[in-house]
Amino acid sequence: MSDTWRHELEAIRGEALASLALASDSKALNEWRVEVLGKKSALGQMSRQMGGLSPDDRRVLGEALNRVRQELEQAWRARQAEIEAKEKALRLERERIDVTLPGRDVPLGAVHPISRVIEDIEDIFTSLGFSVVEGPEVETDHYNFELLNIPKDHPARDMQDTFYLTDEWLLRTHTSPMQVRTMERMRGRTPIRVIVPGRVYRRDEDDATHSHQFTQIEGLVVDEGIRMSDLKGTLEAFAKALFGPSQRVRLRPSYFPFTEPSCEVDLVCVSCGGAGCRMCKGTGWIEILGAGMVHPRVLDMSGYDSSRYTGFAFGLGAERIAMLRYGISDIRMLYQNDLRFLRQFRHA
Amino acid sequence: MRASYKWLAEYLDLADLSPAELADRLTSAGLAVDAVEPLNRGVERVVIGKILEVRPHPQADRLKICQVDVGRGEKLEIVCGAPNAAAGLVVPVALPGARLPGGVEIRIAEFRGVSSHGMLCSADELGIETRYLPKRDVEGLLILPEDLPLGEDVVPHLHLDDVVFDLDLTPNRSDCLSIRGLVHELSAILRRPHRFPASVPGPGASGECPIEVRLETPRCPRYEAQVLEGIAVRETPLWMKMRLLAMGVRSIDLVVDVTNYVMLEWGQPLHAFDADAIAHGTIVVRQAREGERLVTLDGQERALTPDMIVIADPEKAIGLAGVMGGENSEITPSTRRIALESARFDGASIRRTGQALSLRSEAQQRFEKGVDPAAVSNALHRATELLVQLAGSHPVGAPRRVPAEADAPKPTVISFSPRACARFLGVDVPEDEMYACFESLGFGVARGEDEWRVEVPARRSDVQLPADLYEEVARLYGYHHIPATSMRLPVEAPESSDDLKLVRKVRRALVDWGLCEVRTYALTSPEAEAPVAPSGVAVPLLRPMSDDRRTLRRHLLPSLAEVARYNLAHQVSGGAIFEVGKVFLAASWPQDALPEERAVLGMLWFGEREGHPFERPRPYDFYDAKGVCDALLARLGIQVAYRVSHHAYLHPGRQASIEVGGVMVGTVGELHPDVGDRYEVGRAVYAEFDLGRLFPLASSEVRVHSIPRHPASRRDLAVVVPLGVESQALVDEARRTLSERGVLRMVRVFDVYTGVGVPEGHKSLAIALWFQRDERTLTDAEIDDAVKAVLRAWETAFGAKLRS
Repeated sequence: MSDTWRHELEAIRGEALASLALASDSKALNEWRVEVLGKKSALGQMSRQMGGLSPDDRRVLGEALNRVRQELEQAWRARQAEIEAKEKALRLERERIDVTLPGRDVPLGAVHPISRVIEDIEDIFTSLGFSVVEGPEVETDHYNFELLNIPKDHPARDMQDTFYLTDEWLLRTHTSPMQVRTMERMRGRTPIRVIVPGRVYRRDEDDATHSHQFTQIEGLVVDEGIRMSDLKGTLEAFAKALFGPSQRVRLRPSYFPFTEPSCEVDLVCVSCGGAGCRMCKGTGWIEILGAGMVHPRVLDMSGYDSSRYTGFAFGLGAERIAMLRYGISDIRMLYQNDLRFLRQFRHA
Repeated sequence: MRASYKWLAEYLDLADLSPAELADRLTSAGLAVDAVEPLNRGVERVVIGKILEVRPHPQADRLKICQVDVGRGEKLEIVCGAPNAAAGLVVPVALPGARLPGGVEIRIAEFRGVSSHGMLCSADELGIETRYLPKRDVEGLLILPEDLPLGEDVVPHLHLDDVVFDLDLTPNRSDCLSIRGLVHELSAILRRPHRFPASVPGPGASGECPIEVRLETPRCPRYEAQVLEGIAVRETPLWMKMRLLAMGVRSIDLVVDVTNYVMLEWGQPLHAFDADAIAHGTIVVRQAREGERLVTLDGQERALTPDMIVIADPEKAIGLAGVMGGENSEITPSTRRIALESARFDGASIRRTGQALSLRSEAQQRFEKGVDPAAVSNALHRATELLVQLAGSHPVGAPRRVPAEADAPKPTVISFSPRACARFLGVDVPEDEMYACFESLGFGVARGEDEWRVEVPARRSDVQLPADLYEEVARLYGYHHIPATSMRLPVEAPESSDDLKLVRKVRRALVDWGLCEVRTYALTSPEAEAPVAPSGVAVPLLRPMSDDRRTLRRHLLPSLAEVARYNLAHQVSGGAIFEVGKVFLAASWPQDALPEERAVLGMLWFGEREGHPFERPRPYDFYDAKGVCDALLARLGIQVAYRVSHHAYLHPGRQASIEVGGVMVGTVGELHPDVGDRYEVGRAVYAEFDLGRLFPLASSEVRVHSIPRHPASRRDLAVVVPLGVESQALVDEARRTLSERGVLRMVRVFDVYTGVGVPEGHKSLAIALWFQRDERTLTDAEIDDAVKAVLRAWETAFGAKLRS
């Protein structure tokens, strides 16, 4: 009797495992499960028929049945995992996309190169202990010239042809009036360390190197014991920060009515590194800004006793720096605002 | 200022320095040399020759065949086309193998059957700047003095073996506007003595000067005159012509050339009058009279003003002092007596006169920057000496000097501390070095222990203060000796303007959201602004450079629209741009106050918005702009309300003012189609913020509140309202209605629909309401009740009906 059972059971097992191997997708697998392990399956029928057996047979058969059932269930799970993995692989393959197509657009604007230069310079001088202030663009003759030691009818006025609004009011020709305004605001307190970025205006014909409107960054330091060597040291630190650690500055004597001594400041040519090229006309140096020790008369007129305080001032053109830095050959490009030009500064 | 190397070398030993080295030394001492130009621009193997015979060319009317002696015994046959070729003339001859400027090489050539063994040259062919030569030297062959040795190289004899420095002098160094001044300077730079006389002896003629001089204006502190008689020679010698040419001064005739030559040598401008044109033998220096007119040497009639100084006789003006002489007293070929003037005039006045008449003479430039008072007499003596030597003139009487007593120019005395100087420069310049600087400059020094007394001669009027002496020391010792030192950092952290930080924040945000920053000109024109019709008046420039840049801008839109127009015209299909700039506002002009400068952020969206390449580009619209405004305001921590606004330059139905507590801080709107057309930008959207009002409201402070633990419930309502009802009104009404219950967390409009199913003149708004309380979960009944209340309020206020 038990042999019959055993044979039958073995036959069911063998058949079930064979058909399981043939089930190739989730659907077939589910059908197999109902068929082999469900209530109406051969195994199910055998379980139900076990009621008529002796307790011993029932125990033996029950154990055998259970073993087969567990084996088949395990086989089913293994097969299921196998098929799921295969189906998932298929699905993933179907989901393959062209990763070389462009991504969804995130619009990117660009900071204007002049603003970029101003911000960088502000950051450098802020780290050197300077504060940043701004001043009016419409100035008085008094602040723009007279308090800077440029009286009326002084030949130095030719250095800066001026847009006047009235006899006394004008568009500032430089940011230097803020030297005086800053000293007036500080009312004799020290130290003074400011930089002043801003738009300035000169009656120049626009061409590749001139613009009737441009951007200056003024610097002013006033304290006891400020030396001309401090001017050089500060500008050298600035040059290294802006153009790299191998930079050096060279001072050349010059003249500005509001500084004494005055100098033009050169940098090692950013194009050739000092070897001499067309850009620096073979000299290895490029002029970058004007500077000097604050003129004693300017200090005195602004309420700082020139026998006690000294200081230095400098003024640089943001356009000039931008042109050097980005290889711009014509200053007008900075005011044309061609988006094909500006968008090149997206990453800058 | 141009300077001849050879002229300088006359007074100073320069043999060991090449012109390029000299230029470097000048530049590093503060006299920037822009260019070093050899006068000889490439003349080689051109010799002096004499035309012995001229006969016509048998085949060509305009050509001549010349027999030329170049000092070799044999005659050369040279074909020449110059009309002035004539026997007996000494001329430059380019021999075969010679080179001329521009790379021309001379060979034996045949001209219609006649071989030419060289070429006779004009000034132009020799590369000489003909604009500085008198007309007769420019037309045809350059005629050389007869006594030049035939066959010798023409270059030294033509004085072309010179080099010219083009100096870019700073306005304070008027002392270097002369050869003597430059020699003084070089003497200090090179530390070697100069060799010129400190003064020039007077002409030696005695007796009364036939000319009286009356000074009637304080603006002429000194006037000296010398009368000379007889002009036997009127042709300027070649050396002087060439020296003037090297210095960039045009040769005119001998008398005028001598005055210019002496001006270049001494820096003191001189003028020569025809003495017989001076009525009553009296020169009056006075202010011009109202309405007075004078024809100047250039043939122009000038309207004079009382601010100008004139040289006059008792009857009429004969010259504009220090600027230009009068035609009525000009030296002419018939002039027999010369009155030479050497004077000092007030520089500021000369400068104003030159500006008023748009004149800019060499004399004027020197007067306005200041001339050495000691040069007045010396220059007069030197010019007299040269006229006697070169023109065969005789001085008549002694010079007239007014005032009669010589004014001994007072040297400036400056007290100087070597230690303070070294401290100021930050470099330990040895005291002996400082002393040597001053000495080589010709400054007198009385050395004391701590304080020196430095006497500065009047020719260096730019040196007045100790700081000026520090500069002299620094530039002569060498700026390169100054080390780079660092200052102590201040204890207090720098206080920078908050506004600048906010501008940066705004710039960063806008760029991150796809806008490009632009920078435009602040000068514009009322025409360019007309489509915007800004309020107030445009502030005009007194002397604009062009019509389209003659007023200060009152609005940013015209500037941004110009950028958009330019880009649309240059293959850019669209973009979003912004600028932070100032506008200048005035209620009227002129007015008592300066124009108001208002910082404005302007933004413009124009053309098409390009998204993903697979999506179709679409025009920018109002909501693109508003979205950026919203985001920007959120970034600045500012809550605003949008209200319908009524700017004529914007689309009447697509614009809003942006308000905080009833105060307008900005505007956003689509351009009125007419405005878009006038700016040639089509459909575009503009937004602006008044930063002066916006920034004080900005806040970066954060106080976090706890995240509610109880769930929120969302209810979506679709209501039909008349088209004119703004969605914001429904939002506000819902908030107001439920404000006391404290259950409404958020309201958001998420759809607008018109069309099928919605009555004509109406729209359907889909609005989501989120209900939530912090302390407990709301019941459905509470929420239903709140929704009903909102619907009731909407119906009452706007006639809103729930859409079925």
